[in-house]
Amino acid sequence: MELFLEFFSNTGFAMADYRNVIMLAIGILFIYLGIAKHYEPLLLVPIGFGILLGNIPVFKGLGLGIYEPNSVLHYLYFGVTSGIYPPLVFMGIGAMTDFSTLLARPVLMLLGAAAQTGIFLTFLGALALGFAPNEAASIGIIGGADGPTAIFLTAKLAKELIGPIAVAAYSYMALVPVIQPPIMRLLTTRKERLIRMEEPREVSKREKIIFPIAAVLLCCFIAPAALPLLGLLFLGNLLKEAVVTERLAQAARTSVIDTATILLGMTVGASTQADVFLTGKSIGIFILGALSFGVATAAGLIFAKILNLFVKPKINPLLGAAGVSAVPDSARVVQMVGQEEDPTNFLLMHAMAPNVSGVIGSAVGAGILWSFIVG
Amino acid sequence: MQGLEAIIYHNGFNMAAVGITIVFTALVSLSLIISQLHKLLIIWDNRKTYAAKLRGAFTEQKQAKQPLAAADFRDVRESARQFKVLIQAIGEPFSLPELIRIAESFGIRHPCSKVSLLITRDLIISDHKGFFLWNQEAYNRIAERSRR
Repeated sequence: MELFLEFFSNTGFAMADYRNVIMLAIGILFIYLGIAKHYEPLLLVPIGFGILLGNIPVFKGLGLGIYEPNSVLHYLYFGVTSGIYPPLVFMGIGAMTDFSTLLARPVLMLLGAAAQTGIFLTFLGALALGFAPNEAASIGIIGGADGPTAIFLTAKLAKELIGPIAVAAYSYMALVPVIQPPIMRLLTTRKERLIRMEEPREVSKREKIIFPIAAVLLCCFIAPAALPLLGLLFLGNLLKEAVVTERLAQAARTSVIDTATILLGMTVGASTQADVFLTGKSIGIFILGALSFGVATAAGLIFAKILNLFVKPKINPLLGAAGVSAVPDSARVVQMVGQEEDPTNFLLMHAMAPNVSGVIGSAVGAGILWSFIVG
Repeated sequence: MQGLEAIIYHNGFNMAAVGITIVFTALVSLSLIISQLHKLLIIWDNRKTYAAKLRGAFTEQKQAKQPLAAADFRDVRESARQFKVLIQAIGEPFSLPELIRIAESFGIRHPCSKVSLLITRDLIISDHKGFFLWNQEAYNRIAERSRR
């Protein structure tokens, strides 16, 4: 009987408290949202399962928990804390991305830049709520709507917040179809939503090859701290466009990105433990995260309307919302809202331009915040 | 510390303003480069044609600037005076190679181009037998013009 009681006292059942139960419920909810509702399944399923793994109570000292040295989860988590996984994910994204709509109409790049004001305004909001500058920068980057970028910067500046920030970032990215449309309808008129974009010009292969080289040199000379993210993003894109390296591009956009995504999601989820997640700070992070998406969307829309005062032909201002770099969801939302007014207005292709420029802008923004806080 | 006080204490406004500026600068610069890229590639593809056109334009410009100015007139007068003396010394008719050789021996700089100039201005004329003669009438006209 004593042996049985001793054994029982070492099981998770004896060591669990209500916080573990809440976190396990959250993990199951994420898995449900990913599988049943198809909300960002490639991210929410590994994160959700990681939450389950990280919140099963274990006996400390046996090298099992994610924060214990020599544990398997701890070694896998090293890729997050050292900033290895996010650049690998970016390389895969670069190998999947076609920048030709951006190259055909470079002015749309400015919409991606405008949407990144959400990062810095959220940064100010976080400072106002009492967060330290490194924490505020990590929270601000949620406004970039870029999961790998948010995890990368948080790993460098505020490791203890990786869990809530990653969960907030990916949750809101999944909720882009819910968050953005009301703001888009509020800030644009029907006449503006009906604007048709002209056909983009043909972009040559050479332009597509030169672009990643020129872009990485220019952006990293301006913001060197963005080198890990932008360097691998444009490497992946060059591998894709060069054609002769199609095998490498294929690996980057399949096995490499999938492996990195699994390990990133799972270990981020496992790091989201009750004592860090169920705090007042997390509530602040979630509120600021929602605001940051809203502000970024609004900034992109308003900038598109301002740009229409100077450019001819006019740009459909809905494209400003695609500057929020939740690729390709925010571009799809633009298409959806545009087609509510005119089912024959196809904006998806045009919306990809500010969408991918937002990825570049958020990586540059992360590099800038990192250099401000660390420098 | 919270609110505006916290933002000001941590230099938040400056960081936000500078950060947004740098992001815009990076993407504006990139968009400018991209917008000119296809034009630069067109120029590169047709570089030989453009180079030939440039060379042609440059040559026309040079020819258009051919001297009819006072400085050139002074050069002709001075060269005519020098070579008149030499021609008187070697006698007429004379051969051009001999005239140039003697001009060089007397330290006259660029004798070939000066002889060419004098031939252009009809100060040295051919006798149609392979030799050349001095044209005193042309020299007198130039001398009279300079006196005016």
